[in-house]
Amino acid sequence: MRTQEARIKPRLSERLSRTGKEFWKQRQLQAMVWPGIIWMAVFSYIPLVFLYIAFTDYRISVPLFENDFVGLKHFIAFLTDDRFWRAVYNTLGLSLLRITIGFCIPIILALLLNELRCERFKKIVQTVSYLPHFISWAIFGGILLSWMSESGIFNQLAISLGLQDKAILYNGDPDNFWMIAFLSDTLKEMGWNAIIYLAAITSIDPELYEAAELDGAGRFQRMWHITIQCIRPTIALLFILAVSGCLSSNFDQVFFLSNSANMSRSETLDLYIYNMGIVSGRFSFSTAVLFFRSIISYALLRLCNFTSVKLTGESII
Amino acid sequence: MKRYLAILLVLCSLLSLAACGTEPAVTSDAPEATDAAVTDSGLDPNTPAWTTDTSAIELEWFVGASWYPYTWGDSLSTQNITEKTGVDIEIITPTGDVSEELNLMMISGTLPDLITLGSWENCFSTLYEQGYTWALNELADQYDPYFYNVVDSSVVAWHTKSDGNLYCVPNDAYGAEQMAETGMTAAVQTFLVRKDLYEDMGSPDMSTPEGFLEALRLLKSDFSTYKGETITPFYAQGGSGYGLTDYLQNFLAVPYEDEDGNIYDRVTDPDYIEWLKVLRQAYEEGLIGIDYLVDSDDQVTEKSNNGRYFCMLREWSGMQEANGILANSENPDSYYIAIDGPANSDGDAPLIFPGSLDGWMCTFISKDCENPERAIAFLTYMLSEEGQMDMFLGVEGETYEVVDGVPQLTDEMIDLMNNDAETFATQYGLVDTYWMLRNSVIVDQWRPESPYYITEMSDWADENAYVDGGIYNNLEPTGDSDAAVAATRIDQRWQEVVPELITAESEEEFDSILEAFLADRDSYGYDLVVEYEQELLDARKALFD
Repeated sequence: MRTQEARIKPRLSERLSRTGKEFWKQRQLQAMVWPGIIWMAVFSYIPLVFLYIAFTDYRISVPLFENDFVGLKHFIAFLTDDRFWRAVYNTLGLSLLRITIGFCIPIILALLLNELRCERFKKIVQTVSYLPHFISWAIFGGILLSWMSESGIFNQLAISLGLQDKAILYNGDPDNFWMIAFLSDTLKEMGWNAIIYLAAITSIDPELYEAAELDGAGRFQRMWHITIQCIRPTIALLFILAVSGCLSSNFDQVFFLSNSANMSRSETLDLYIYNMGIVSGRFSFSTAVLFFRSIISYALLRLCNFTSVKLTGESII
Repeated sequence: MKRYLAILLVLCSLLSLAACGTEPAVTSDAPEATDAAVTDSGLDPNTPAWTTDTSAIELEWFVGASWYPYTWGDSLSTQNITEKTGVDIEIITPTGDVSEELNLMMISGTLPDLITLGSWENCFSTLYEQGYTWALNELADQYDPYFYNVVDSSVVAWHTKSDGNLYCVPNDAYGAEQMAETGMTAAVQTFLVRKDLYEDMGSPDMSTPEGFLEALRLLKSDFSTYKGETITPFYAQGGSGYGLTDYLQNFLAVPYEDEDGNIYDRVTDPDYIEWLKVLRQAYEEGLIGIDYLVDSDDQVTEKSNNGRYFCMLREWSGMQEANGILANSENPDSYYIAIDGPANSDGDAPLIFPGSLDGWMCTFISKDCENPERAIAFLTYMLSEEGQMDMFLGVEGETYEVVDGVPQLTDEMIDLMNNDAETFATQYGLVDTYWMLRNSVIVDQWRPESPYYITEMSDWADENAYVDGGIYNNLEPTGDSDAAVAATRIDQRWQEVVPELITAESEEEFDSILEAFLADRDSYGYDLVVEYEQELLDARKALFD
């Protein structure tokens, strides 16, 4: 009886030593995974405790749990602020552009690059298109601003081509802002985003193409029926991530391109949190807005994954 | 595996909680009493503490200006000061928003030893209200009573908070009598025009709405390009938040309080509204753009240095470099001069904002400072006449000479300062390079005479300064109180509304936008702001009586 029990349920010390042995056997793998886990814990899980700030009147000199509990005061404060809803509108508008048109552009670029026969030209195009990714927005934005100024290259070009008869201050008109933000973001990130699709494309079995060619499929048919079908899981994955991120905007970009004249269309949620919270030292308020945003983003992620499972059978969570 | 992970996570969060429990810097509000008792008797109030301890020490000094370019230790003046006092300084400047950066330092307990900060910053009051900085009077009593000999009593009275403590010392603080006496007012707000262009246009009067519009029309028709440059008609410093708000209101002599001493609503002043409408009219006619709201600092600098602006609501202090460049260019008359700018319908003299006892920026000693006794001694030294001299004039025989009992920079230095300001600042670091603790009352007597292209601007500002206006400086609430939040919201809303007003298609649209703003303003809590400002103003007046 006793021996049977021991066989079924080994003693704790045995179990520990077995875990220890296994751990040692996998030490190289463990060494790779632990930095990631610790990083996650420090930067993603521990901060969750501090979400409590959103429910207090937080003062930085007082320990976290000694601050006055105020319930939903800060949530009500931003939900009743018309400027918050304007920021939501701007964020969603920009994201919609980014998710619809902006999402397709890197795929198209990757497909086109993949069809190029000349390796050298392909490499050059690829490098040139992803290089802007490594320039910070502080610099890229500065360059862009001088290009867009009244005496800048865009105005000179448009005037000499006869598209407009006098210089226009592009960045001074709120109605232009979404387009400026969208186009500049696409210009900067398109090549970088195409890399992941290119990587997926290289893993496609060449036999598929050969077989299709024998069956008489043209280039477009091969592109459509083989390349796109094979990278579908990658597309689904990136799409789901893009949708769940639609409440965050590129803060750096918006920060450098916005000004008091275009604020009505350039203030996104991120900038709103910065202007209303961080600059004024309202930590509780900022945390509340961020908390709210995270909940909505998570809901979007779930919804998207659910739809994806139903439609294509691809799930990422 | 999952269970161990969970345990680890719990451990981590517990650790973090324990850590944040010990974090706050507020431990005691006063230096330890026992120390004070010992040193009270031992210190000689006539010997500055910096002379008794000159062992080498390094202090970090946060300068709350992201544009501040200079370091400590490379220039002659700083080497001299370090040698004398033993204090070596590491200057830290913010890379982004000043308050954001300081808030982070407060939370993480890594405040630098010395902090120089503008009182308009949101974290300014947090620094002393939440106990992050020493009360200077307590440090002085304990370590360096000589401190009281080097700070002006009126400055101390003005900056002492309601708890009876002095937390910071200002630079560039001016009292009203002082300004009246010396004629130096530290006023910088001017209306500038490009000299040769303005004179070629026949020096039109631009102080009335009609004159202003006429001048801009003439500019558009006859001078839209001038001596090879495309002219940008108008610039307002700080855009809608400053140039077209307080700055313009000062030119229109809009009062701060009514006859009964109540805070006056400057935004709804009829003259101010009229001038905003003039700008709207000018925009509609295509006489001005809104480039000054959109351009980056680099673009503005480029336009100014090439004399591309016609007229500007701009502080002359920011135009010194540009004017130097222009006056030495192939068009030596293309520099900017100050003329009478927009005025109200009664033609009242403008109320140009002067220096005040508030000064410009204030310097604190943080509680994270490990050697507050050296910090206060260093502060005392810098504020003393000797320290000011070392900072402003440098080393006798090398950079300045005493002529008839008056110290003055050598001609070589003055030459270098006027012609190669960059080298002058980085190699010698004199005059205004290290302004953090500059006492203008002391250093102005040594200041070399400015060239004509500077005095033509600064004289106008001095003449038109509203020397009694210092009391109205920085009335706006800061921090995260309800009044401060309301003020910030109103302020940020107004910055958006001004461009809308100027680009409005008709006067009716202008009126409706303004009306909507005023309604918004009330809903944001304008009454709280007024209440706060009224209280503060009354308290300041009581201090003077």
